[in-house]
Amino acid sequence: MTDRFDPPYPGYDILAKWDSVSFDDTTRRVYADRLKDVPERAFFSETEWRTLNAVCDRLIPQPDRPDPIPIAPWIDRALAENRTNGTRYTTMPQMREAWRTGLAAIEAEAQERHETAFSDLTAERQDALLRDVSNGDAEGPHWNGMPPHRFFRSVMLNEVVRIYYAHPAALSEIGFGGPAAPRGYVRLGADRMDPWEAPSDRRRR
Amino acid sequence: MRDVRPDHLRQVRKPLPEWRRPRGHGGDTRHTTGRMLGVLGLAACGLVVAQALNARKPRPRAEPRAAAAAKVRHGAMALAGSVAADSLMEHFRGGYCNDAMYLAPAVAGTALAATAVRPPATPRDDAVARDVAHAASLVTGTAGLAFHVWNIGKRPGGLTSMNNLFYAAPVGAPGGLAASGLYGLAEGRLRRAPIMPPRVEGRLLAGLTALNLLATSAEAGLLHFRGAFQNPFMFVPVTAPPAAALVLGAAAADPAAGLRRLARAACWTTAAAGAAGVAFHAWGVHRNHGGWRNWRQNLIQGPPVAAPPAFVGLGLAGLGALDLMDIRDEGRR
Amino acid sequence: MPLIEDLEPRARDGRAPDVFSHGDWVPMRCYGDAEEVDFVIVGTGAGGGTLAGKLAEAGFSVVAMDAGPFWRPLEDFASDERHQDKLYWLEDRLSEGDDPIALGSNNSGCAVGGSTVHYQMVALRFRPEWFRSRSLLGYGHDWPVDWRRMWQCYDEVEEALKIAGPVRYPWGPKRGRYPYREHELNASAHVLARACEAMGVDWAACPNATVSAPHGKSPPCVYRGFCKIGCATNAKQSTLNTFVPRALAAGAEIRDLATVTRIETGRDGRAAGVLYHRDGEWRRQKARNVVVAGYSIETPRLLLNSASPAHPGGLANSSGLVGKNLMVHANHAVWGRFEEEIRWYKGPPSLAVCEHWNYADDHKDFFGGYAFMSQGPLPADFATTVADAEGIFGMELRQRMADYNHMAGLKIVGETMPQERNRVELADETDPLGVPRARVTYSMCDNDRALSDHSVRFMREAMAGAGGQQLFTSEGTAHLMGGCRMGFTPEDSVVDGDGRSWDVPNLWVCDGSLFPTGGGVNPSMTIMALAVHIADRIKTLAARGEV
Repeated sequence: MTDRFDPPYPGYDILAKWDSVSFDDTTRRVYADRLKDVPERAFFSETEWRTLNAVCDRLIPQPDRPDPIPIAPWIDRALAENRTNGTRYTTMPQMREAWRTGLAAIEAEAQERHETAFSDLTAERQDALLRDVSNGDAEGPHWNGMPPHRFFRSVMLNEVVRIYYAHPAALSEIGFGGPAAPRGYVRLGADRMDPWEAPSDRRRR
Repeated sequence: MRDVRPDHLRQVRKPLPEWRRPRGHGGDTRHTTGRMLGVLGLAACGLVVAQALNARKPRPRAEPRAAAAAKVRHGAMALAGSVAADSLMEHFRGGYCNDAMYLAPAVAGTALAATAVRPPATPRDDAVARDVAHAASLVTGTAGLAFHVWNIGKRPGGLTSMNNLFYAAPVGAPGGLAASGLYGLAEGRLRRAPIMPPRVEGRLLAGLTALNLLATSAEAGLLHFRGAFQNPFMFVPVTAPPAAALVLGAAAADPAAGLRRLARAACWTTAAAGAAGVAFHAWGVHRNHGGWRNWRQNLIQGPPVAAPPAFVGLGLAGLGALDLMDIRDEGRR
Repeated sequence: MPLIEDLEPRARDGRAPDVFSHGDWVPMRCYGDAEEVDFVIVGTGAGGGTLAGKLAEAGFSVVAMDAGPFWRPLEDFASDERHQDKLYWLEDRLSEGDDPIALGSNNSGCAVGGSTVHYQMVALRFRPEWFRSRSLLGYGHDWPVDWRRMWQCYDEVEEALKIAGPVRYPWGPKRGRYPYREHELNASAHVLARACEAMGVDWAACPNATVSAPHGKSPPCVYRGFCKIGCATNAKQSTLNTFVPRALAAGAEIRDLATVTRIETGRDGRAAGVLYHRDGEWRRQKARNVVVAGYSIETPRLLLNSASPAHPGGLANSSGLVGKNLMVHANHAVWGRFEEEIRWYKGPPSLAVCEHWNYADDHKDFFGGYAFMSQGPLPADFATTVADAEGIFGMELRQRMADYNHMAGLKIVGETMPQERNRVELADETDPLGVPRARVTYSMCDNDRALSDHSVRFMREAMAGAGGQQLFTSEGTAHLMGGCRMGFTPEDSVVDGDGRSWDVPNLWVCDGSLFPTGGGVNPSMTIMALAVHIADRIKTLAARGEV
């Protein structure tokens, strides 16, 4: 897998609709917070923070963006506020502890395999390590009994992906039509779109 | 609200002038435009009523057959106008994905122009051109009917799926264009020397109008059924026009003076209902989320503002037919 | 998104939020804590909200409490997935078993209106035979309510919510016309239609709880597609904008952000009221009757936490069945890429449905049934599905998401069997209010797996028939049912056919935990129908002096 991204809707930006009826004040407020009030690190230690950022860079690489969508700060914010998602599998510790254990374990894996910090590994080595974690092939004492794949998929990847695809730039990238209030959509059929949606997929034009 | 967009986007649009800026809450519906349009619709309705009252006043008559022709022309005009505006919008919704979709508003627009200008008292060169425009309406409308049926047939569920009947190409809509063409041609005939007694012309026209009323009412019924008749006034176009069709049909079969008087009243009612329909539909657009401020969505998704004038057209055509039927009586008097 | 502990109650001092406004209020009758009201209802979702409206309209004094906030959709709901997490029950619950279930966004709401604020609006009825599935179909348990009675109640609920449904529904006995007409099908629904036509089975426009024409203060749906994370237009008919306003208008009091932690019992063993926490204070509300409507986890949790010397195993638990027989719906899905742009973010997510395998009994190697619907997940929701199902991340994931507008999917709501081992218990660990957390144990049985496998096989073939490529499957569960089963005897159930506890005559249950079996359709209509049924029964019993 290369790190090239072929954008299907280049030039489409949902923020261009900011002044239109596709946006209401509630959504404008939420977006404004997301875009301008990126939180400072408050929960993770400096080491954890370095590992986390390196992990995020591999889970959602953004070499094409001069200004990458911030992900780690939002994870940190949620943990600082002690937010949970409603489910704690009994094999898992509490959310905060799960993150601390998980990041430390990834770091320990990197040290064990390559005697290097995870953040200093090459992208290929980082990916290989993460893939092993995802597939549950990274058992070890540093996981403290927490199932690595459960942490990877249900906690870490899930949260990273949710944060990324909540950002307007990511929504623009995939040609999402929203936000949509008060104005929704009129044309619902296949290959039909309203003037305020992304024009059709470049790869098909 | 603070503008947090990247700079290149912020320069896209100048700040809106004060009067255009959204007030209060973003999701609120705006009442003003809706009310204004409601008032306009009511005014249109009032005009029809005024004309009805006016028509009852004795006044020096032009040649009676020409006067009837003028009513038929106005009917054709209302129909053409309704189809032109409605198809323009509905085909815009359809993205003009088929080039033939441009035909409907173009032809209806031509028909509108051909009917909007009062023709000279005696037929001249332009009569043929008018006939051609109206014949084109008739042909396009009929082809449109077939095209819409074909279009529905190829969707999942086909012609038996209510979803297709509700939301795909409307089965009956192109009929309005065909009807406009028919009335336009009829008007052209009425401008020329009669080849049959005016009474017979009137009865033919009344019969045709009765059928058109039934068809248009069926179309309105289908779409109002789609709207679950959520407002009791939605029953008007499925009651008044069929009643008018009934009386008009009866008058065509047996042109007794009493029936004709009744038919006249029914036709005026239908026309007034059509005008009121515009106001109701404008109100309906306002009731959609975002109201008239969200007009780009709601004009298309809300009740079609341009559709009800079809009943104005049919009502006027019916009145023209009745005028023709009156001619013999006047001769006897 | 605000933290729930930072919110302040809105419904107080004689007024409650007007859900159809920005910042406006409606008057609300208020009761004192010491005033013994006829009914205190715990929970205002599909069960509690509906019951509150019906009982208040019948003239009873009603106080309904909800642990969640009282939102005004027009001003509080954003077009943003992450922000709208505020609709869910996110307090930790412990999940275990062979197939531990995810809890929160997919099955538990935390707001006035409960999960109906974020439900997918699929408004289906149970198949009549399911109310006697043991006698007629050979599995599960019979319901103590006759299907014809339930169908009357469905009628009332569908009318109240102005369900937009098809003129002809292909499955089941003849039914009256839906109050509103079906919505226009989106491209995603047309994929289901093509898929079903390829397989030779019926399909239909899916009855939806969002209006297709104006209704009262609800405008018709604008197809914005954010239904599942809170409708910001009020087109969606939840209890928040239907039965709750009705309850308020009829004189009920709604207390938002009021967490009931214990049902108190008197020396006679009867329920005397509830202990609840609101605005930083512990308070007691006296009541002649207590109704628990907290759904399949919170209802058993509350009953179990209300143990007393007279009820040592938990309130209403002489059968030992409180918390037992928890059910979910299998939620397997098949996704595929289409050449054309589907853009499934438009319109209610499930506009078309196939109930074939709910009504067909032949050629099945499993008990129960399933329906499948067309889908329209929002970006983050779908991205996590892809990431979880395919185990992919990195640029590969971004590339896959670049096809978001070309995707379509079919997802089942599949019946699972009631099993006593699937249960809700109290954990040793407590929540910030000191109440033991719920521990949820769930394991699939062979029949559940056979059903899921069948559905995946069928849907893969159907999706391929519709032109779908690069198919992949995802697994999951949705909805909760059971946990306080209704039944025929005090030994085989927690409550009787009226939702009334066998042990404590002035204690009632009114939510999805009543279900003896799960059925293969989304449960909300059935929960609301049960609430209508229970309200009617309470009226009848009260008239006879038996309440």
